[in-house]
Amino acid sequence: MTLALAPAAARRRRGIAPRVLAAALVLALALIGGICIGETRIPPATVLAVLANRLFDAGLPVDPIDAGIIWSYRLTRALVAAGCGAGLATCGAILQALLRNPLADPYLLGISAGASTGAVLVALAGLGAGAVSMSAGAFAGALAAFALVAALARAAGGGAGPRGAGVIILAGIAGSQLFHALTTFLIARSASAEQARGILFWLMGNLSGVRWPDVALALPAAGLVLIVALGHLRTLDAFTFGADSAAALGVPVRRVQATLILATALATAALVSVTGAIGFVGLVIPHAARLLVGPRHGRMLPLAALIGAVFLIAADVLSRIIVPGQVLPIGVVTALVGAPAFALILIRGRCAR
Amino acid sequence: MRAHSLRRSPAPASSRLPNRAPAALPAARPVTLALALAALLAPCAPAQAEGTRYPLEIDNCGHPLRFDGPPGNVVSIGQATTEILYALGVADRMAGTALWFNDVLPAYRDVDAGVPRIADNAPGFEAVVNRRPGFVPTMFEWMIGPQGAVGTRAQFADLGIPAYVMPTDCEAKDNLTGSDGTRSADFDVATLYRSIEEMAAIMDRPARGAEIVADLKARAAAAVGRAQALSLPDASAVVWFSSADLDLDPFVAGQRGIPAWMMRQLGLRNVVQSDEEWPTVGWETIARADPSVIVLARMDRRRFPADDVDKKLAFLASDPVTREMTAVREGRIVILDAQQMEASIRVVDGLETLTAAMQTLAP
Repeated sequence: MTLALAPAAARRRRGIAPRVLAAALVLALALIGGICIGETRIPPATVLAVLANRLFDAGLPVDPIDAGIIWSYRLTRALVAAGCGAGLATCGAILQALLRNPLADPYLLGISAGASTGAVLVALAGLGAGAVSMSAGAFAGALAAFALVAALARAAGGGAGPRGAGVIILAGIAGSQLFHALTTFLIARSASAEQARGILFWLMGNLSGVRWPDVALALPAAGLVLIVALGHLRTLDAFTFGADSAAALGVPVRRVQATLILATALATAALVSVTGAIGFVGLVIPHAARLLVGPRHGRMLPLAALIGAVFLIAADVLSRIIVPGQVLPIGVVTALVGAPAFALILIRGRCAR
Repeated sequence: MRAHSLRRSPAPASSRLPNRAPAALPAARPVTLALALAALLAPCAPAQAEGTRYPLEIDNCGHPLRFDGPPGNVVSIGQATTEILYALGVADRMAGTALWFNDVLPAYRDVDAGVPRIADNAPGFEAVVNRRPGFVPTMFEWMIGPQGAVGTRAQFADLGIPAYVMPTDCEAKDNLTGSDGTRSADFDVATLYRSIEEMAAIMDRPARGAEIVADLKARAAAAVGRAQALSLPDASAVVWFSSADLDLDPFVAGQRGIPAWMMRQLGLRNVVQSDEEWPTVGWETIARADPSVIVLARMDRRRFPADDVDKKLAFLASDPVTREMTAVREGRIVILDAQQMEASIRVVDGLETLTAAMQTLAP
């Protein structure tokens, strides 16, 4: 076994450096695109001057407002978009493998529903008396919903065994429905529901308010879940054939499942609390990556993360320029642009087979 | 959709802190004093003898209304209509009020105590009609209109109740587009004066209405005169009402609403281009337009963190972009009561506050 794998591993190692470089280049280009294109027109020379000042202390003369917009608004936005895209795509890929369900997405575990409830509790019901932000409420709500779903799945015997994956999905559906109902109840009960629109707009996904503290949350969240996933590559491959096969291959199923699900839940909750529930990315990007490079997680996971990052940066740029003078909700753009792109990959994938 | 307006959601009762009210309405004093004086003098005025001739027929934004005599049991939906009725001195003919954003003007505190408050927010249709109202005026079409939160005009017409929307909100304004409606023409203060005169005519107080309008017109003209005397060179402004969350894109005054009218009167250019009443515009766009003055709305509502004017100020001073804006660096920030940006008798207070601020800001 070791002997048979050695040449393949060596080949993979040889090929890895150029690939990482290429990925970094693509990501850097996407980030620069995200910084250059925005609501207002800022010449690329100004953008480069600001970056030179910030990164290399170049001391070029730049208007402080332009500098602030580029460094504190656009760069943070592009970085959070990248982190969110990569994180959600990774979480989606993990859950799809773990639960052997192509429809699994990061919000399956009740996280977006819980986040809505948490945000609504803060904003409508005045929980925390103004000291707690909607983001903190959303994070707490997401974790509460996940805890409930996990407890339910455990009580129903989820985890190992052929029924395991199905039980987790059903528990997630039950939890999501419960928290959706709670959100609707809170909105309906509140004396005036006018502000619901603001909350729902935010929950549908919104990158307009992200700043450096959000970057400090989104990037580590995405990075951690990606590292955890990369540490479980063979396990994830094994899970593709079902929990029983994984157990037969010597994978400690229950422990691995718990680790991976917890990691995706925490990462998704953190991302949702920063940007709201951005749809489409976590569900579709892993499939796109799989169609492009096959189902092996060693190649599929990094590619999914890269596509996710670039895709969300691009979607955010489009959301700012499709309608001049108005910023569209990012969730609309991800689906509007993503669905046709995915359709194309689906058709081409069929031809290739 | 209209009922989901972001900006207009009134203050929850719990957030109306009584101790805040006097501080929140410094500029209200001149008007209330003037109105109180006028109220005292009103009975002596000879014009008062000439009342409305009934039946009175009024065209209210294309909807004919007919009054056979002075209506009783008036239910007022909206603080602006309520305070106009109080100014007309007809509180004794009122059966209820609803939709409060703020404390009542101090001069009417006693009067208001004698009128039942049906709801702090939008009242239910039955709660209104149960009062057997002879007249239901409202300040907003999203209360009574095609998607009225209280009801449609037809619902009221079916019961023979004349429902009246202030022309300030139903003329040249499409309330089904944009989160707070979209104006097809610039707000004209004449519609406010006409709203007051029509309500005065309906309530059989035409002379009192004319008096209020004359007072408002005179004060507005005086304020504009003072502002024009300053002859500010190309001054621009943005009016920040609130935001869903502090970092998010703010709700600002559009190009054609009431704050825009004030700015135009005083020679201030609005940096926001939208025709929506309160559009959501990104900070990037606002910061790059770099207005010379920033106007902040102060309100008792505490629905979003940015409702608090202190939080708005803290954001402007700390955000890496907004703190670089000229108006922030040079401290050219004006705080204006949110109620003074509505089509109400307080609107001239707003004009005066803004003028006074411009006078202190001028070099």
